[in-house]
Parts: sequence; structure tokens; C-alpha cells
Amino acid sequence: MHLNLNPQTRKRLQRFRKIRLGYFSFLTLASLVALLCFAELLVNSRALIVHYQGETYFPTYSGFYSGNKFGLDYSYQVNYRQLAAVFAKEQSSNWVLMPLVPYNPYENHSPGSVFKPEPPSFQTQHYLGTDTTSRDILARLVYGTRTALLFAFAFMICVYFIGILVGCSMGYFGGVFDLIFQRLIEIWSNVPFLYMVIIVFSIIPSDASIPARISILLMVMVLFSWTSMTYYMRTETYKEKSRDYIAAARVIGASTMRVISKHILPNVLATLVTFMPFTIVSAIAAITALDFLGFGLPVPTPSLGELLKQGTANLRTAPWIVISAFGTLVALLTLVTFIGEAVRESFDPKKFTIYR
Amino acid sequence: MNRCSPFLLIPLLLILSGCNESDSKKSNLEEPIDNTQEVADYYAAYPDFFQIRSLTDVPANLHWQDGSDLPEIGSPDAKKGGSEYVRIQDFPRTLRTVGPDSNGSFRRWILDDTAMSLGHRHPDLMDFFPGLATAWAVDAKTKTVFVKLDPDAHWSDGVAITADDYFFTFWLNRSPYITAPWYNNYYNTQFTGITKYSDYLIAVTIPELKPDTDAKVLGLSPLPRHFYRQVGSDFIERYQWRIAPTTGAYVIHEKDLKKGRSVRLSRNPQWWAGNKKQWRYRYNVDAINLTVIRDTPKEFEAFKRGDIDQISLNLAEYWHEKLPDNDPDVAAGYIEKKVFYNQKPRPPYGLWINTSQPMLDDLNIRLGIQSATHWQLVIDKFFRGDYQRLATANDGYGKFSHPSLKARQFDIKLALDYFAKAGFKQRNSKGILERSDGTRLSFTLSSGYESLKDVLTILKEEAAKAGLEYRIEVLDGTSGWKKVQEKQHDLHFSAFGYALELYPRFWETYHSSNAYDQAFDDLGNPNPDRKLKTQTNNLEAFAQYEMDQLINAYRRSSEEQEMVNLAHKMSEIHHANGSFVPGFYQGFFRMGHWRWVRYPENFSHKHASSATQLFVHWIDQDLKTQTQFAKQQGTAFAASVRVYDRFRN
Repeated sequence: MHLNLNPQTRKRLQRFRKIRLGYFSFLTLASLVALLCFAELLVNSRALIVHYQGETYFPTYSGFYSGNKFGLDYSYQVNYRQLAAVFAKEQSSNWVLMPLVPYNPYENHSPGSVFKPEPPSFQTQHYLGTDTTSRDILARLVYGTRTALLFAFAFMICVYFIGILVGCSMGYFGGVFDLIFQRLIEIWSNVPFLYMVIIVFSIIPSDASIPARISILLMVMVLFSWTSMTYYMRTETYKEKSRDYIAAARVIGASTMRVISKHILPNVLATLVTFMPFTIVSAIAAITALDFLGFGLPVPTPSLGELLKQGTANLRTAPWIVISAFGTLVALLTLVTFIGEAVRESFDPKKFTIYR
Repeated sequence: MNRCSPFLLIPLLLILSGCNESDSKKSNLEEPIDNTQEVADYYAAYPDFFQIRSLTDVPANLHWQDGSDLPEIGSPDAKKGGSEYVRIQDFPRTLRTVGPDSNGSFRRWILDDTAMSLGHRHPDLMDFFPGLATAWAVDAKTKTVFVKLDPDAHWSDGVAITADDYFFTFWLNRSPYITAPWYNNYYNTQFTGITKYSDYLIAVTIPELKPDTDAKVLGLSPLPRHFYRQVGSDFIERYQWRIAPTTGAYVIHEKDLKKGRSVRLSRNPQWWAGNKKQWRYRYNVDAINLTVIRDTPKEFEAFKRGDIDQISLNLAEYWHEKLPDNDPDVAAGYIEKKVFYNQKPRPPYGLWINTSQPMLDDLNIRLGIQSATHWQLVIDKFFRGDYQRLATANDGYGKFSHPSLKARQFDIKLALDYFAKAGFKQRNSKGILERSDGTRLSFTLSSGYESLKDVLTILKEEAAKAGLEYRIEVLDGTSGWKKVQEKQHDLHFSAFGYALELYPRFWETYHSSNAYDQAFDDLGNPNPDRKLKTQTNNLEAFAQYEMDQLINAYRRSSEEQEMVNLAHKMSEIHHANGSFVPGFYQGFFRMGHWRWVRYPENFSHKHASSATQLFVHWIDQDLKTQTQFAKQQGTAFAASVRVYDRFRN
């Protein structure tokens, strides 16, 4: 891969790689994200491959196959686990390859006769047990984490986009524009964030589809979170703007857009990057907190907060719920924090400091 | 970014939400009001309603009843004394019993289960026994119930309860000051007059004779005239936290009210009914300490520590797993478990289909939904077979409930047939049925029951097999209720709490006047310009001309057998319309209590809805000391898990 990086950035990246804790955390998280992108292949009630009467089907990403299609007596979606059992019994040339965890996060699959939390078991392939309505915890964790991470990345991008745009403009234009926006931001940032999210989200008519509802939640959260980024961007831009190279660029007639995007932004990037991991951490924490309070992602979307809530309600009888959810949350937040610390350190211009 | 802001904010929110009192209004509230003249003027303005006559005007040939032959409630073994610790989920928002916020769960402690009315239904036999009345008589000719008031009765502050208090009850409940439209309407339309013959003899007239004419009158509870002398336009604020004198056994002292945290009810040693039949063995505990514990899991932990004395175990999870029969405390006999099968009007838990929505106005789709909704699975697997399938929306009314109607079973094939008749024949890539024009068979399934959201998830998964998509929307209780009251729902999972009544009501839920403005023209054909009517309990927008006629006949009828026949006929029409998917009912209540809480031999009564409703239990201090000592020492008693199934169906 050939990247045209300036020497300073290259140096920073080298320093980042040397901070082993942060670097390995980064590798772990990156591979986790890569895996989560293909979660459907690992955790799913749909089979990976079905071989039936000489033909091969790949149901994971394809559409819906009815039971009749594979010789079962119903017209709704095939139960592939059942199909695998049927084929195995027939001892014909038909076969089914199931994913590692053969459950989806929504189905109530109880090994016993009632829906209740079941402890982890390799035999039933519920590797982390089931929740209070016999849904597979691992499946819910995987999809819940994916949603949380996706949500956090989208949140970060939106917040940074608005924060940079407003912050840079304030720093660059200064004067009355800066004054007015500063006051507006001061007022806006005093609106209690979580309170507003709860209020706004509760009055939004929620008969929209689940992705639409998640996007609305994202928008509301972004709306009340972009302000803090502007402070850093504003001061950084102010600082850079008064440097000679900016003055030089302006003298040779560079446009405002060009000055900001080509000269200022690359130089304030260091500050930005160090904040990113912590924004992710706070986004994951916020969405989990909202879910825990019951104001987050719509039912029955799998989520960490919802699992945590179930877990705390069943501490005595089903400790595996809270252990799984809490463990995942701690691991996730620790990884991101380690990365954040490493990034901050590698971008720190003071290489030798007595505070280390 | 402020990394910890979400967590820091939570306690702040709770604090903020607690501060909703305005101090600015206080100064106005100090100003004295005296409504004596206003009330007197009101009585004078309605001379037909408020009448005063002499004792000589009482008809001579009245057939007086006094319910004296009914078996006594409670046990003579009951010991008075002790303290009970009880959990409440929220602190009451007001101590008023009428007006905004007064209809909360706290009301049972100051009104529903503790205050006395003229007469009370016997919880086994349904007949009335005396409360504030000593005897009553129905005069069918004048549609009037005569009531002799108990001269012993007095308020907890010592003032005698007389006919004036009953007059005043009508004034207050008809007054606009209380901001309670339902009460205004009820007291304006359901009664046509009250007559005072003496301080201790009144008569109340009602518009229509019914098989239970006396019930409406004997259900009246008086309000203390002397306490409400300051009622005016600021009633709601002025009386928000005032403690009203009561007719019942328990009083609240100002010092025992710790806002946001706890309330203590103290047994009134001078309670006037303390030695009366039906009352003397009840309300045995001296002090009931109500403490706010918001979460149910925390309540359970508090119970296991012995911090609270009793706990409801209606949820399967709690009965079977959190407190199983082999729990150490249960096995050692420290905690006892009880199940009691009762008979009462069953809250109609089920899916209420809004027939005014597009597609849902199609009978085939509604019938398809009936067959695509797998309640039996929910009952068997989620409720562990403890609950039972509801047959109609009016179960539990004895002979008034339909004897043979059954809810439709889950049947994918049948559902697909119905959906096909409505044009839904093709499944899309997710397995959901579609019409040829691309319309999906998809509806919002909403509910205000946060704790039962898993039920909806199960129904959704099963309905998908029949090609029906439910989009789940879980709201908080208030917004859920608002949604159905505005008739904005497709399907809503909910239930009404029905009081113990002899026969079901149909007008509220199925009469067209509660569904549309002018639903039909004079000939009984649907009016094309009709407008949906909101804020009524006709959640299905049910409007059938034939049903209206039956409901009117039912409301007019005073013949029991005729009403039974009409009720059955109406249940059949309602069933055929398929606009309500009957869910489940709980045919019992069950609870756990520490060994020192004692109950009468038969535990509870046929029509009771909870064990503590009638206050027949008592606290045995000696047993408490003994049990706590035994628990320390590790000595065990005989385990006690009892099932009372005398009244099981």
C-alpha cells in the first residue's frame, strides 16, 4: 500500500506501532470489526450451504426459501437446523452446513419446554447461554456489538463533520461570526444531553422501520453532542491562522476553502485524532445507557444495554447474562481506550517527558 | 468530549424530575376560602336533585335488607398489632382521591381498599354487607334506593358522618374544580337525585332499574363536608398534599409522610367500625410502612432480606426460578408460598385491532390475524402454562360470559387462506406476504406494557411464519394509552382493569357512538362522512348497527335472563367481527410471605383479586422473633407451599 504521508505523520505512526498495548489493541479491534462485518456467516439461523437434490444453495445472503422448497411440509422460512437433522436422518446425498452459532438474535429457541434463561452449553450450541426468552446470548451480543460500533462510528463522523465545519469557520472568520456562534454554542451545550435525547425520542412517532428509528436516534444524539468539538477546532484554527505560512498562502491568493482544507486541517488533525477514540467510547457508553434505561434502540433490536438490563434483573438466577454483556462492554471500551491512549501519546510532540 | 456526561446526568434527571412544585403559588393558597354559600346555592339551584323531606315521607312497605346473614370475613384468631413493611413502586403524586394524578396505584391505600362505602360486596357471595349503612331498601316503582346510615359512623377526626356528607359528595364530584370529566359525567348522568329524610336516612334515585340496582348506590363513598370547605378554583393545588379524614381503619399522620421515600399508615385506635361484624377481624396490623422501591428485582432482594414481609409472585419467573420450592428459605419454612384460584371479571389481555385503519377494515385480514397470532405458545412457554387462554373480551362474569365461544387457534394454513382471500398471495424475500401491487402485510403492534415486551417479540416471530409482519412498538404506559385513546394504533396489546361487577359493560367498548360521530344514517347504513371519535374506550372502532340496538336494549333491560341472552348474542357478534384477538388471563394470584404473616384458614375469597386486598392478614410478633432466631440458628420448620383451588375453573 502506498500512502503519500508526510514525514511527521509517518513518524507518529511508527511511534504508535511501538506502543505495543495500543497497537495490539488496535489490531484486535480491527479484526473484530472485520469479523463483525461478516457476522451473518458466523452467527445465523440460515445455513451457509444447502446441498439438495444435486443443487447447491447459499441462503445466507440470498432471499427466503420456504420449507416446501427442501421437501418439508410448510411454506414459511426453512428451519435450517431442523433441515440438517432431517437430512442427516435420511442419510441421502443432501447436506446442510450451518454457521458456528446456528441461531439468529431474534428467535426464541428453548432446549427445554419453556422460555427461560439457560446456562451456557456446548451441546445445545448456546455457547454463552440464553436470555430470559431463550434467545441466544452470543448472537445477541455479536449483533448488538456490531450495531453499537456502527452507531458509534457514524456518530463520530457526524459529530466531527459538524464540529470541524463550525469550529474552523469560527476560528478562521473570527469577529462577530465567532462571537455569535460562541454564544449559541454555550447556550446549546447547556441543554442536558441525555434528558433531551429521552424527550425528543419519546415524542417521535415510532411506527417507522427499525433502521429509520435508529437513524433518528443517531440524529438526535448528534444534534446535542457536536458542540464540544468546536472549542478545540476554533482555538487550533485561531492558532494556525496567525502563522506565517497561512498568511503566505493568503497572499498568493488561495481561496478560503483551500486555506482551510489544504493548510489548516492537516495541521490540526493531530488534535482531532487523539479525541476520536474517546468519542467512540462515549458514544458506546451513551447508547448502552439509553438502552439500559429503555429509551434506546427499538425492541427487539439486540443491544448491550438491553442485555445488561436483563442481566441485572436476574443476577442470582442467570449470572451468565450479566457476565457476557458486562464482559463485552468492558473489553470493548478497554480496547478503544488503550488505542486512544496510544494515539494520544504517539501524537504528543514532547517525546521525552517526566510525566511518563 | 465529556466522557462521563451520560452517567452523571442520570441522578441529575431524577432530582430535576422531583422538583415540580412551584413555591410562587403558595401565598395564594394561604388565603381562606369558604364555599358554604356556594354549595348551598348549588343545592338550591337543583331542587329536583337535592331534596329534603321528613321521615314521614318514607314509604311504609319497603323491604329492608341488611346482609346480616352473610358469613364473616377474616379470622377470629387474628391478632392486632405489629408493623408491616410494604413496597410501593412510586411515591404518590398527590394525596387527593379525585382530580389529575389521583388515579394511581397509591389510591388503594387511601380509598379503594381501605375507605368504606355504604355497602360492600361479599367477596364470596357477591351480596352486600353493611359498611356505612345499616340497612337499605330498593323501591322499584320510583327507582330509588333508601339507605339507613349507621349513627355510629364518624370520620377519623371525630366528626359524625351524616346525610350532609353525601349531599356534598355529589356537589364535589359534579364540580368543575376537580378537573375530572369522568367523575363529572358519572355523577351527572348515573344518578337522578338524592333525598335527605333525616341526618341518618337518605335515598338515592337512579335513571334505570338494573338487576343490581342497589350496587350503584351502595358503592357510594361519602366525602367529609367539613374538610372540603375550602374547595374552590385552586382545589388541585390546595388539596394536593392535605390529608383527608377517612372512614377507614388507617390514617396518615403528617410526620409519617416522607415525600419521595415513604408513607406510614397507622391503625386508628378509635376507628368506629373496629367492633362491627365483617370489619372486626380485618385491618389487623397497627402500622403499615410503605417504602418506595422502584425496581421489582430490588423489591425481591428486599423481601429475601426480610425488609418487606410479603411479595406478589404472579410472574412465572419469580414463582418458578427466583423463589422455587427448593429455595433454602422456603424449604426451611421461613418463607411460605401460596396460590389462590379466584373468580372475577378477567382483564381482557389481547390485541385490540383498530378497524378504522386501512387493510384492517377487511374482515379477511382480521380473521387471518386471529389465526396467525400464537397466544398459546406465549402461554405455554413464556408463562409456563400457568395462565390460560382468554375466550372472549368478557370472561369471568359467570352466566353473563358466553358459555361456549372459544378464541381461534394458531393455524398457519387457515391464516394463509384468509390472507389470500384479501389478495395477499406472494411471499417477498423476507417471507412476508405481498399483494400484486407491492403492498406488504405489515402492521404496527404497539403496547404500553414495557414488562411484557417479550410477549410481542414471540408473537412477531410466529406471525412471520404466516407471512404477517408485526412492527413492534413498545411505549411507556402513558404514551401507549394516549396512542389508543387517539385511535392511532393498528394493533395494540392492552387490557382494561374491570371492577367486580355482576355483568359486563358493552356500551363503552362496542357502541358506534364511541367509534364515530354519527356512524349511521337513519336507516342504519354507514354514514360516508363519519369521523373517527377519539378519547373513548371503543379501541376497535367497532360500529355495527345491529350491535347498537342490542346494547341499547341491554342498557334498558332490568330482566336478568334477557340481559344474559343479549350479552351472549353481543359476544357472538363481537367474535365474528374478529377485531379482538383474545390473549390470556391469570386465573389465580400467588404470593410469598414470611412465616410471621398469618392468614385465615381459607386464605382468601372467591372474588378477591389479591391476597392483601381485604386486609385479613395479621403479623404475629412471637412468630417473628421465633423465625428470626431459628434462621440465625439454622433450625428449620415444615415447608409450606399451598394451593387453594376450590374456585378453580
